[in-house]
Amino acid sequence: MTREELVNLFIENASKVSAETVRVTTDAELNGALTAILADTKSVFCQQDTAKEKSVVIPPDKRIDDYTGASVCIEEVAGAIAETGSLVCSSQGGKPIQAGLLPGHHVAIVSAENIYEKLDEYFGALGDSPPTNITLETGPSRTADIELTLTIGVHGPGRLTVIVY
Amino acid sequence: MTSTATSIPFRANAAEALSNSPLRAAMRNATETFAKKRTEATASLPIEEWRTQASDTRLRVLENLGEYVDRFSANAVRAGAKVYRADNAESAVSIVGSILKDRAVQKVVKSKSMVTEEIHLNKYLETLGFKIVETDLGEYIIQIAGEGPSHIIVPAIHKDRKQVGRLFSEKLGCEYTEDPAALTKIAKKILRDEFLSAKAAISGANFAVADSGSLVIFTNEGNGRMCTTLPPLHIAVLSIEKMIPSLADLPKFMRLLPRSATGQMLTTYMSVITGTRKAGESTGAEELHIVLVDNGRTKIVAGEYREMLKCIRCGACLNACPVYRLVGGHAYGATYPGPMGIVLTTLLEGMEKAHPLLDATTLCGACGDVCPVKVPLPELLHKLREERVERGFTPYLERQGMVGFGFAAESPQLFSLGQTVARVFWPLAKKIPGLGALERMPIPAQITFGRSI
Repeated sequence: MTREELVNLFIENASKVSAETVRVTTDAELNGALTAILADTKSVFCQQDTAKEKSVVIPPDKRIDDYTGASVCIEEVAGAIAETGSLVCSSQGGKPIQAGLLPGHHVAIVSAENIYEKLDEYFGALGDSPPTNITLETGPSRTADIELTLTIGVHGPGRLTVIVY
Repeated sequence: MTSTATSIPFRANAAEALSNSPLRAAMRNATETFAKKRTEATASLPIEEWRTQASDTRLRVLENLGEYVDRFSANAVRAGAKVYRADNAESAVSIVGSILKDRAVQKVVKSKSMVTEEIHLNKYLETLGFKIVETDLGEYIIQIAGEGPSHIIVPAIHKDRKQVGRLFSEKLGCEYTEDPAALTKIAKKILRDEFLSAKAAISGANFAVADSGSLVIFTNEGNGRMCTTLPPLHIAVLSIEKMIPSLADLPKFMRLLPRSATGQMLTTYMSVITGTRKAGESTGAEELHIVLVDNGRTKIVAGEYREMLKCIRCGACLNACPVYRLVGGHAYGATYPGPMGIVLTTLLEGMEKAHPLLDATTLCGACGDVCPVKVPLPELLHKLREERVERGFTPYLERQGMVGFGFAAESPQLFSLGQTVARVFWPLAKKIPGLGALERMPIPAQITFGRSI
């Protein structure tokens, strides 16, 4: 499978689990994809640690440092699994992965080169000393605890946007 | 010996459940929906191969369970956790109680865990004065209602939206609504404040990874992630058979557990937690305590019912069981209902208490067909029923009836006479009013199988 085929498979499967998906190839396209999201929100948490996070332009009046009060979290995640449409969030490198859980809208940037085809590929290579917390995130938070009626956005985000860059 | 004072009154419970029509409608909806989703989610996949592989892995663990538990413990300690072994429920709850007491914690947020139901952890901690907040929506509903779970995946499935609406307006003081989305929002708001202010959390675990000392937790709502990333103190309570060898084994179970439980390809979240927050990290509890609960498992694993402990608690056998579908989880009067529940409850709590549950099966075999790790449930149920007869836990009349049948079956003349008598007198006997069960029984065939060939 070529890299582009892998990207397409991931995007297809992430869409199936109700994530909004965008494919970008430049910083300008990345910021273009974020324009509508940033216009609609009051407060954005973005650590701006990785190169791709640093290229995100956030209006200063909307930026907040406390993710517990943010409406949107924009972050680059560690990778993704094409087979299941899942994001791989990892605590490695000091990332507070709960920042992608508390706000109502999680915007995850995935580097195309960090997409794995199969679960086995990723977990088979993890070894015996993984980072403190690895979380696979597959679509927005959901419950069906009342009469099996599907409700999106319980404790975690009700909206998930995946930007493959 | 019939039902003793200490045995679970399954027949009475079942009769009560059967006369509760809202309950029956809710159970039918839930079990049929889940069973259908499971079938769709496993179609056109090499499911048989996956089941065999998962079963082999689980069996390999059980054959050397002590060794896997030791390896898990050593690796969890290496990653910064503190590990405790609890032989029974009393010791497990008192370990958790003393961890909390030592840290002067008042409130604990909790994510769903069946083993904590088994050891009655909440009740114990509440008597010590702690406030326990269940954070899975279904668990939260039954907690404020003061009830136990009726299904291991959707614990409040016995309640319809109107009942939840009335419960919320009564207990939480909110305006009545029966819209599931609005009710979810009300619970979310209350629980968000609880998460952010809690200093301690209790969770279970779906799996424990021996080679890395990791805990694996599957959730859809995100409450498991909240519990394991926000409070500085995390106590995980799990039974010892949850071990899998390595992280490389995890995908097998990731493919089977959600599909078998809810028909999802994967739950929304799956977290692998390895030890405590390290220097330079911004995620992870500062203290992680892992309580490994035996509570009879070591004994089970050494005996002929070992394969029961392969169970990964997906609930597929509940949804497939014709008895569970009718009576729901509460009728079983135990933590674990349905086919897996009958077997596990009998093994954990003893034949004397659990023997009436062995009536709650038709031995149709559906539970065995859907089990993702090939627990031979029909075989185990059959074996336990034999054991029940051998140990004299069947009703006197049933035993005498079987003795009589055995005697007649050995004599062709007597057997044939019995058939003739039944054919002639049964239709007459059925006309006598007030004979209850006899009236409902079918009339014997005029031509028997023996004669027709």
